[in-house]
Amino acid sequence: METTSEPATPASEATSGKPPRSLAGKIFDLLSGFGLATILLLILGLLTWFATLEQVEYGLYPTLNKYFHWQSVVLLPEIKGKMVPLPLPGGYWVGVLLLINLTLGGVIRIRKGWKHAGNLISHLGIIFMLVAGGVAHHFSERGNMAVGEGESSNTAEDYFEYVVEVAEIKEGAADSIHVIRGKYLTDLSPGNTRLFRLPELPFDLEIGGYLENALPVAITERAPEAGQLKADGYYLMERPDEINAEANTAASYARIVQRDGTKSEPFILAGASFHPFTVKHDDRVFTVDMRKRLWPMPFTVKLDEFTAEFHPGTMKPAKFISKITRIENDSEAKVTIQMNEPMRYEGLTFFQASYGPPGAGPGQRMYSVFEIVKNPADHWPEYSLYVVTFGMLVTFLIKLGTYLAANSRKKRHV
Amino acid sequence: MSDTPLRAGRWIAAVLAMAGLAFVFHNLVMDNMPKGEVRKVQDYEPWSKEMLKVVETLPVQDGGRIKPFSTYAGFTMLGLHGARSMQIEDSDGNEHKIKPTAWLLDVLFRPQLAIHQPTFRIDNSAALEAIGVPIRGKRDRYSYADISPGRQKLGELAQTYQAIDSKKRDPLQTQVVDLASNFRSYESLLGWFSFARSGVILRGSGENGGPDKRADVSALMATSPQIRKQIDETHGHGRSIEPHLQDLLQQVLDAANLAKFGLFILPPVNPSEKTWKSAGNAIMDVMSGADKEPQTAIDDITSLETTARAGAVDEKEFREQFIIMRDRLAKRAAERGEHRGIALEAEYYRKNWFLYALVFFLIGTLTAFGMWAFGNNRIGGVLSWITLATTVAGLAYCIIAITKRCIIMQRPPVGNLYDTIIFIGSSVVLLALIVEWLTRRRFALGLAPILGTALIVLARRYELGDANDHMDPLVAVLDSNFWLTTHVITITLGYSAGFLSAFLSVGFVLLCGLGLDHCDKDLRRALTRAVYGMLCLTLFLSLVGTVLGGIWANYSWGRFWGWDPKENGALLIVLWTLAILHARLGGHIREWGLHLASIFTAIVVTFSWWHVNFLGVGLHNYGFTAGKNTIWAFYACMAVLLLFGAIAMAVEKERRITPKMPE
Repeated sequence: METTSEPATPASEATSGKPPRSLAGKIFDLLSGFGLATILLLILGLLTWFATLEQVEYGLYPTLNKYFHWQSVVLLPEIKGKMVPLPLPGGYWVGVLLLINLTLGGVIRIRKGWKHAGNLISHLGIIFMLVAGGVAHHFSERGNMAVGEGESSNTAEDYFEYVVEVAEIKEGAADSIHVIRGKYLTDLSPGNTRLFRLPELPFDLEIGGYLENALPVAITERAPEAGQLKADGYYLMERPDEINAEANTAASYARIVQRDGTKSEPFILAGASFHPFTVKHDDRVFTVDMRKRLWPMPFTVKLDEFTAEFHPGTMKPAKFISKITRIENDSEAKVTIQMNEPMRYEGLTFFQASYGPPGAGPGQRMYSVFEIVKNPADHWPEYSLYVVTFGMLVTFLIKLGTYLAANSRKKRHV
Repeated sequence: MSDTPLRAGRWIAAVLAMAGLAFVFHNLVMDNMPKGEVRKVQDYEPWSKEMLKVVETLPVQDGGRIKPFSTYAGFTMLGLHGARSMQIEDSDGNEHKIKPTAWLLDVLFRPQLAIHQPTFRIDNSAALEAIGVPIRGKRDRYSYADISPGRQKLGELAQTYQAIDSKKRDPLQTQVVDLASNFRSYESLLGWFSFARSGVILRGSGENGGPDKRADVSALMATSPQIRKQIDETHGHGRSIEPHLQDLLQQVLDAANLAKFGLFILPPVNPSEKTWKSAGNAIMDVMSGADKEPQTAIDDITSLETTARAGAVDEKEFREQFIIMRDRLAKRAAERGEHRGIALEAEYYRKNWFLYALVFFLIGTLTAFGMWAFGNNRIGGVLSWITLATTVAGLAYCIIAITKRCIIMQRPPVGNLYDTIIFIGSSVVLLALIVEWLTRRRFALGLAPILGTALIVLARRYELGDANDHMDPLVAVLDSNFWLTTHVITITLGYSAGFLSAFLSVGFVLLCGLGLDHCDKDLRRALTRAVYGMLCLTLFLSLVGTVLGGIWANYSWGRFWGWDPKENGALLIVLWTLAILHARLGGHIREWGLHLASIFTAIVVTFSWWHVNFLGVGLHNYGFTAGKNTIWAFYACMAVLLLFGAIAMAVEKERRITPKMPE
């Protein structure tokens, strides 16, 4: 236990007679040092603690954006709505620095040899884990699918991302749908517009004044207070973010831009609207709609039966079971999805998330809601855990062995 | 430093510690003692042990599982009375201690006595003032008879306050709502057997001016097809039901309603039906024709009637009838595969394992103080063996109790907060004994029973405040024995290691700060190594446990990390221990710094283990508020110790530097 636990003396290098380090060497020392690691771990701890407290007031999604989004460089925490005068760096960048520190210090600079092999393995495992987190953060997709008993679905709906869909209506149904993804909309704060070219359609679309959470309000109902743009007797009233971010309804203004450059009057696109905006061009009809992104599945899911079981005599949930048929290219497979037993297939995972209608009586037709996740790093954390555990076990067993070997059971008691 | 001040310091420390222990003990005893004077209950006669033993194994469905009558009685009594025992005095001035099974037996079968027992714990007498009931002290216990004059007002006020969001109710409003709920629950038990005691009156059946005759509810149930036929014919002819029949049906309905809630002891005949019935359910199902095979229900009700009436004759007769009824119902439960563990659970609560563990730990604590005070002499040696023996005995009791709970629950030991307390209590003692085996300094040995005592006291207080049966089944999302075994146990062991490292460091700070260690470098090094080892173990268990939790979450809900407060708490422990170990490796903290940081670990672990539950968000939220003040008191104690440690460290540093200063 003792051999490697004894602290290195920082001053020892200065008095060792070694030639002074170059600037690059000093930077390397700084970035790979225990000091930086300690500070970053403490800051990350502080950020986690503040974020834990703050999510109670403001909800999880806004809090995570504030503390761990890459755009958040410096932040001021709050406790119970009161600002804490302690500027902290954003968690994303602290994590990036920690990854650099871990790589430089924990893999490159670390003392080599069998006694330190465990530490090296653990550090590699942690790096793998952080990479898995990064891949999941940047590349995973998640949505939900609600299916009634006896019904089928092959699309999931994103939890957060609002998109603009432009579709031509042919024979009463949407045809050739054009989707403008949310990432091209979210930076269009009031005053900013962007022109979206739609070469397959007879017009383009200009969108601006995007709001994360807003409702269209009739001017006759409530006059605009901040000089908002008015469209067909309505304007967009911004609302504070919902604590549950899935409940936000995004909205923006838009104009039809004809090929000759003329623009239509502005109209409102809102996630809270029940109907899309209709555009007539010659004898063709188009709809423009803002809605949560739909995500096509590579197979169809048919809900055969849903069962909600409660512990007898209580309302404590015991089991939620969805029996489904997975239909793909004329082949069918029966699958059961329940709590702790999701369906994993073709890189997608279907989890039992919810059900309805609430308080349904016996014999009433139920629906089941699945959470659908596509995560390229699905099992990476598990693999990294094996690596980290093995590394830590090696380290601690070596330390324990050394301690036991050197331990002299002697001297006085307390 | 000479030996004399060291010895004096040891004794001062021992006396202070004993005073602290006495305070904890007093607090514990007072909390479980009935408040106010012992209440007199006229004509009270205690139940015999044989009777109680017969009754305790009657199977009852409650909280989603089948449990013995004694368990149901225990938690019902805890919820209403705030303790598992009650002191009363009979007509002759003899005092009796009534335990849960006897208490519920009185409520069900001797309501005329039960209504005078001080069943209701009132923590704020303002609730009684508000309903016009004369009060005694601010905190006291009252009987049903005391409170019933304010029954109507209580109902009205509770209805008003229930309209207020529970989070916005003031303490008085909460107390009124709780009291009304408790009062209703108690009434549902009080009147449960009234159908059996009084039957139904056959109006106009009295002969020669004599009183009307009575009929058993079971007899009426047996004639239910004829009654329904008569009602159908009457309706078919467009007539209204005859008054005597209407009256009879109303009496049956009232009797069934009184026996509808509280006690579900009748296993359904149909194996696919999971919910057991109360007597009220059974009566109504037969009378309405919903029960297609009514004979079993009629026989059940007959058996209940016979038993209840035997209770009014004598105990021997009552016991015989109770055995017949119990065996009848238990046989059916066994046929359904629902009688497993009833006897074991009844025995588990009867043996009171954790109370005996507490007694052993308390004795161990006393001898540990003696062991430290006497130091390294013969008496100290003897006391160390006694400490070891009592601590091992206490630990054995804990392990037996936890094992029995696992067998009864058919799941791993930790599934809720109560489970974590007893598990941490046991594992921290075990870890301390292992540390003692490795270090042989009698330090961890003394710490083991102290921590065991503190955690068992905490468990008892939590159970008292929560008054819920913690062996009830888990919600669907937690129902995975694999993950409960791996993730939950690993995390909980991480808490134990974190606490042990913190308290070892508390010991270091007190020893060195008060000069009790006689600047023994060997002792200090041993303690520092032990703390370092415990911090490594904390990191290992917390990191592995946290990642296992993430894998469980990913496996079950599709996300590795959800920023749930409980997950964040576990991450905080990982980050904190990593920061300590890296700071030490970098030479930024040394011996004292390591111990001070280790003491802070207790705060981080407490936040993760307990405090996050108060935040009211996340999947792991248990939704309770009990013990919030205790947490702040604990934080304050740790902060004081940290401050003391920082001062002691500065003083020691100053002492080291001073001799080198030029004159």
